Amino acid sequence: MPYELMYVVRPNVDETSLTAVTEKVDRMITAGGGEILKREDWGKRRLAFPVMKFTEGYYSVLQFNLPPAGVRDLERALKLAEEVLRFLVTRVESA
Amino acid sequence: MEETRNSSASEGSGASRSPEGRGGPRTGGPARRGRFQGPRPPRVCPFCAQKAKSIDYKQADQLRRYLTEHAKIKARRKVGTCAKHQRMLAIAIKRARHVALLPFATENMRGD
Repeated sequence: MPYELMYVVRPNVDETSLTAVTEKVDRMITAGGGEILKREDWGKRRLAFPVMKFTEGYYSVLQFNLPPAGVRDLERALKLAEEVLRFLVTRVESA
Repeated sequence: MEETRNSSASEGSGASRSPEGRGGPRTGGPARRGRFQGPRPPRVCPFCAQKAKSIDYKQADQLRRYLTEHAKIKARRKVGTCAKHQRMLAIAIKRARHVALLPFATENMRGD
C-alpha cells in the first residue's frame, strides 16, 4: 500500500542528529517490510502555532510502500520518538 | 389600554391568514435571497474548474485562501465549492492543521 508520511522534527537538533532522526525514520519503515519511494526535505519552516513551545520545525515528507500492519508499528514508533513533534501518515491515492 | 390593543392585533392577523397558513405561497414583495446577502460566490467550484481529483494538505499556501481571517474554514456559500470538493477541502485543511502547516486559530484569538 502506498503511504505518505509527513513529520516535523524539533528545531533544536543539530545537523548530525537530524540525519540520525532521518535514518531512524527510514529504519522504522524498512523494518516493517517497507520500501521508501520518495523523500522530500522541506528544511526548517515556521510552525503555524507553537508546538511544545517551539515555533519552528524541520519538515520532511516521505512516500513509501508498507503492508498495512506495518503502519501501526510505524505510528507507534513515531509517537515514541521524542525528536518528532508531529507526524501524519496518509494513504496515497493513485500511485 | 394595552389589553385592547393586543386583542385587536391578534384578531386582525387571524382574519388575514390564508387557509394554507404560514407555508402558503408568497405573494407580492421583492424576491428575497435568504439570510446571506453577501457577494455571490463564483458559480463554478474552483476545484471543479481545475478538475481536481484530490486536494493536497501539503499546499498550505493555497489552502490559506479558504480560511477566514480567524482561520476558520470558509463556508461553501462564500467560496462556491461544490459539496464534494468542500468535504475534500475540509479534510485537507484539518490535516494541514495537524502538522502545524495551518493555524487552528489566529494568534490574537488564542486565550481570548
